[in-house]
Amino acid sequence: MRKYFSKEKWSYMFYTITHPMDGYYWIRHADRGSVPLAILMVVLFSACFTANRLLASFVVNDLDPRGVDSLYELLGVLAFYLLLCVSNWSITCLMNGEGRMKDIAIAVGYGTVPITIVLAAATVISQFVADDEQAFYTLLIAVGIAYGVIMILIGIMQVHNYTLGKTLLTLFLTFVALLIIIFLILLLTNLLGMVFNFFRSIYTEIIFRT
Amino acid sequence: MKRMNIMRIKKIMRSCGAFLLAGLVLATAAPLRAEASSLPYQSYNYTYREDIVYTPAPYEPLKTVSGQDLTLDGEPIGPFVSPQDLCKSPTGDIYIADTGNNRIVVVDSTVSHVRRIITTFDNNGTEDAFKQPYGVAVSETNQLYVADSQNHRVVVLNEDGTLARIVENPQAEVLDAGFVFVPLKVSVDYADRVYCIAQNMFEGIMVFETNGEFTGFFGTISVDISLWEKFWRKIATKEERSNSQLFIPTEFTGIDIDPDGFVYASNIDANGLQGVRRLNPRGEDVIKKGVSGNLGGDLQIDGTTDYAGPSQFTDVVYRENGIYSCLDRRRGRIFTYDHEGNLLYIFGGMGSQSGTFQMPVAVENIGSDMVVLDANNANITFFKETEYGRLINQAVGLRYDGDEAEAVALWQRVLELDENNELANTGIGKAYLTAGDYEQAMKYLKLGMARDYYSVAYKRYRNDMLTQNANLFLTVIIVLVIAWVVWRQVSKRKGITLFKKKQKVRRGGGLNA
Repeated sequence: MRKYFSKEKWSYMFYTITHPMDGYYWIRHADRGSVPLAILMVVLFSACFTANRLLASFVVNDLDPRGVDSLYELLGVLAFYLLLCVSNWSITCLMNGEGRMKDIAIAVGYGTVPITIVLAAATVISQFVADDEQAFYTLLIAVGIAYGVIMILIGIMQVHNYTLGKTLLTLFLTFVALLIIIFLILLLTNLLGMVFNFFRSIYTEIIFRT
Repeated sequence: MKRMNIMRIKKIMRSCGAFLLAGLVLATAAPLRAEASSLPYQSYNYTYREDIVYTPAPYEPLKTVSGQDLTLDGEPIGPFVSPQDLCKSPTGDIYIADTGNNRIVVVDSTVSHVRRIITTFDNNGTEDAFKQPYGVAVSETNQLYVADSQNHRVVVLNEDGTLARIVENPQAEVLDAGFVFVPLKVSVDYADRVYCIAQNMFEGIMVFETNGEFTGFFGTISVDISLWEKFWRKIATKEERSNSQLFIPTEFTGIDIDPDGFVYASNIDANGLQGVRRLNPRGEDVIKKGVSGNLGGDLQIDGTTDYAGPSQFTDVVYRENGIYSCLDRRRGRIFTYDHEGNLLYIFGGMGSQSGTFQMPVAVENIGSDMVVLDANNANITFFKETEYGRLINQAVGLRYDGDEAEAVALWQRVLELDENNELANTGIGKAYLTAGDYEQAMKYLKLGMARDYYSVAYKRYRNDMLTQNANLFLTVIIVLVIAWVVWRQVSKRKGITLFKKKQKVRRGGGLNA
């Protein structure tokens, strides 16, 4: 455990955030990243996302707090993270990507860190904002999200050793693959449910036959 | 052991107490609940989040009056037949358009005595009568305007029953050649201009000058076709296009005119977004919409039954202090809004009990009572203001006049009857805001979900905090700066480091790891 969360891993994560090109390159080629740390970052992102929705001040927050469920959102974010990594991996495997599954997981996980930081900061700042200063708050979050997206983009690009154009193409295909995976999962659960129902009806038939 | 026993006894006693308390609460609550359910309808309102909250009844049924209850000089006047409109005169009398009986019945303000029945009038020497009089209105000079629908005219009678003038046969190029003028609802402003809603007239309200000349349409509702619909029409063939539904604007259903000459007109909106308009003298809609942006009655309208769907406002009445009420013919409810477009309260419903309707067609306010005319039941229902309704009406009136501070006591009482009432919380919050108690203002404005006012209160609160604690802030900052400078000097001289010097992250780590 210590290996995954060592001080070196932490500091290298922050190095990656400030130097994404170089950082991601050595994550792929010298194993400087840590998958558990990346997953922790995704969990933190989910927590900050929910916290922002729940705790941002009344002036900027128009959400119904009853509609926010932190556990549900955590599961959603983790499921999306998993799907994204799997679909990206399956596409890049076919398209000469050099990245391994763990590299993709780290690239996406580290990419969420700027968004997490900005969301946490914005939640605090929102407590001191009046209506006409709302633009700052919105801008801050927008910048954070933009940084995060760019980081993920660079991460994918570097771990697979792609050009920018090819990265964008694979990302598009990744989303197609994601939809296909979701479709297959739905299909599978539906069919499994039918099989289950079949055996259950046989069971009830036998039970009532006596 | 002994101690255990005492504990147990205490526990039992406590639970007994809880039971007793619960019983007491139930006992006191029970009659209240019974009282609330004795009304034939539920009163409710929508919160900021568009949830339904049940409120105390703002109005409760007082009495119903039908034609059988009334006599004129000892003679019964007989039941109304499909009455379509009623209005009040400046003297307080009520005029009822008894459409099916081709007569106008004039009663006093309590609808207990019939003043007179108008069936005929002297039209330049010949006796003339009404045919399906559909709408009535009384001007400030006490002239009676009757929308004589099947005679295609608006008849104007003086107070003594003599004919003043007849408005008929409107002439204008904008009207089709075969246009038949069938006036349904009529209203008149301070300059004796006649506003008339005619059958199958989608262009708007027809306006006639004092001399009876048709001057044009008023308050035309524009049709907005979405981009998507435009696209489909573009690619449709001519045949398909002619088969598809026409985009016609909605018809107006009822009018009322406020003392300033603004026309309140109800209309049926298929989307349930805006069922009432306030038209300025140029015919532009200047109504204010509240936070929800909705003036269409019910907000929760999902469903596939006849009972579901958007409210259909069939009549509107301007009351006072900017308050107006709209009558929904689909679910028989009366929606009351204030001048800012906030929904104040909702009451009424469909049914066969006293206080509910089969086919409500007209609404009017008489004194503090609300009066609804039902065409199917052929009767008039009076609703009496309750304490809850009175408090809201008065408080909104005070706010309309700008006396926010005076309204606080009323709003406080409203909160006692209906806690979490957003209007009341906002009202109290705004009063605190003007009084300068920003902390309290923030508390109440947040409960009232008044975001913009909350922001104003917060901004002032923040300024207060900063100016009051400016000395403290500055002192702390100066002390910190001095401490830092001193620390740097000292540490440099003695070579102390607080943190271990950061190891520079190895660039290209893999090579030199």
